[in-house]
Amino acid sequence: MALKDIKSKIKATERTHKVTRAMEAVSAVKMRKTQSTALAGRPYARAALAILARLSGSADLSYQPLMKVRPSSKVALVILTSDKGLAGALNSGVIKAAAEAITPYPASAVTMYAYGKKGEEYFARRGYVIRRTYENKKDSVELSVIEELAADISDEFVRASYDEVLVAYSNFKSTFEQIPSVRRLLPLSLAGIEQLVKDIVPVKGKWSELAALEAPASYSVEPDDAEVLEYLVPRLVAVSLYHFLLEAKASEHSARMVAMKNASDKSREVAHELTRLFNKIRQAGITREVSEIVGGREALAT
Amino acid sequence: MKTFHLTVARIGENLFDGEAVAATLPGREGVFQILAEHEALVSELSLGEVRVTAVGNRTYRFEILRGGIAEVSRNQTTILL
Repeated sequence: MALKDIKSKIKATERTHKVTRAMEAVSAVKMRKTQSTALAGRPYARAALAILARLSGSADLSYQPLMKVRPSSKVALVILTSDKGLAGALNSGVIKAAAEAITPYPASAVTMYAYGKKGEEYFARRGYVIRRTYENKKDSVELSVIEELAADISDEFVRASYDEVLVAYSNFKSTFEQIPSVRRLLPLSLAGIEQLVKDIVPVKGKWSELAALEAPASYSVEPDDAEVLEYLVPRLVAVSLYHFLLEAKASEHSARMVAMKNASDKSREVAHELTRLFNKIRQAGITREVSEIVGGREALAT
Repeated sequence: MKTFHLTVARIGENLFDGEAVAATLPGREGVFQILAEHEALVSELSLGEVRVTAVGNRTYRFEILRGGIAEVSRNQTTILL
C-alpha cells in the first residue's frame, strides 16, 4: 500500500471515530431521558394497580370483558422495535422472541401491530397480516398514539377477534443488559400488572429503590365497583402499553450507545495500527534511500 | 394543621407529590373535599378541576380532561387524571 493511501485511510478512520463517538454521546443522553420518563410514569401505574388490587377483594374481576380468559386460538402480537439499526442485536432479539411466541399459531390466526419499522419489515416479508403500523422515530412517546392503539386492541379483544394479545419488546435491565421479552397484555391480569410495575425499576443505579405497596384497606367506593373498574381497566391497558414502549426505547438507546462505544474503540485501534504501518513504511523508505546514497558514494570512492 | 400525603399523576407525568392540607375534587355525585384522616375511599371523578391546598397555603389547580379516579387510604391520597 502506498503511503498516500494509508494516510487517507487513517483520516477516514478518524472521521468515523468522531461520528460514532458523537452518536454514543447522543444515545447516552436519550437513554437517560427515557429512563426518567419511565420513572415519572411509575406512580400512575403503581396507584392504578393498587386500586385494582384492593377492589379485586370486593368486586368480581372476571366479569370485566378485558380480563376474561378464553381458550386461545387467535392471537394478536404487538411488536415494538426501533426504526433504525446500528443498535447491536436489539431488534433481531425482539423479532426472534416474537417469532417464537407465535409459532404455535398458523399465520392466519395471527394479527400484528407493528410499532417501529424493523419488526414491520420482517413480518410483512413473511406474509403476516399487519393491522396497524406506527413509526418509531420520535424520542418522546405520544400518549394519544398509545391510547388509540390501546383502544383498537381492546375493542377487537372484546369483539373476540383475538383471544390473547401479546407484546414483544426489549426489557431494559441496565445499560448493558436488555432482555427481549414477550408479555401478555390481554386478558389483563393482576399478576401481569404487578410484574410490569416491578419491571419499571432498573436492576441497579439511580432509580432502583422501590417502596413497598401499602397493605389493602376496606373502601367505600363511589359510584360503585363496576363503574370504577370500567374506567380503570381500559386505562391500565394503555398504561401497560406505554411502559412497554418506554422500556423498548430505553433499550434501543442503550443498545445503540454500547454498539457505538464498541465502534469508537475499534476505530481508534484501527487508526493506531494504520499509523504504525505508515511510520514503518516511511522509515523503510528513508533507510533505503540513505543506504542507496551511501552505496553510491562507496562505489564512486573505490 | 394536619396534613396528608397527596399524589396527583397523569400517565407519564407526576403533577403533584407532597404534603397537602386539602383537596377539592369533582365526584360523580358532586364536589367533595378531602382533608387529613378522611375515610378510605375510591371515587370516580367527573370533568372539572382538582384544587389542592398544599402546606404553606400554596394552591394548585389541575384540569380533568378525560375523567379520573381518586383513592384515599390512611392519609395517603392518590388522584389519577
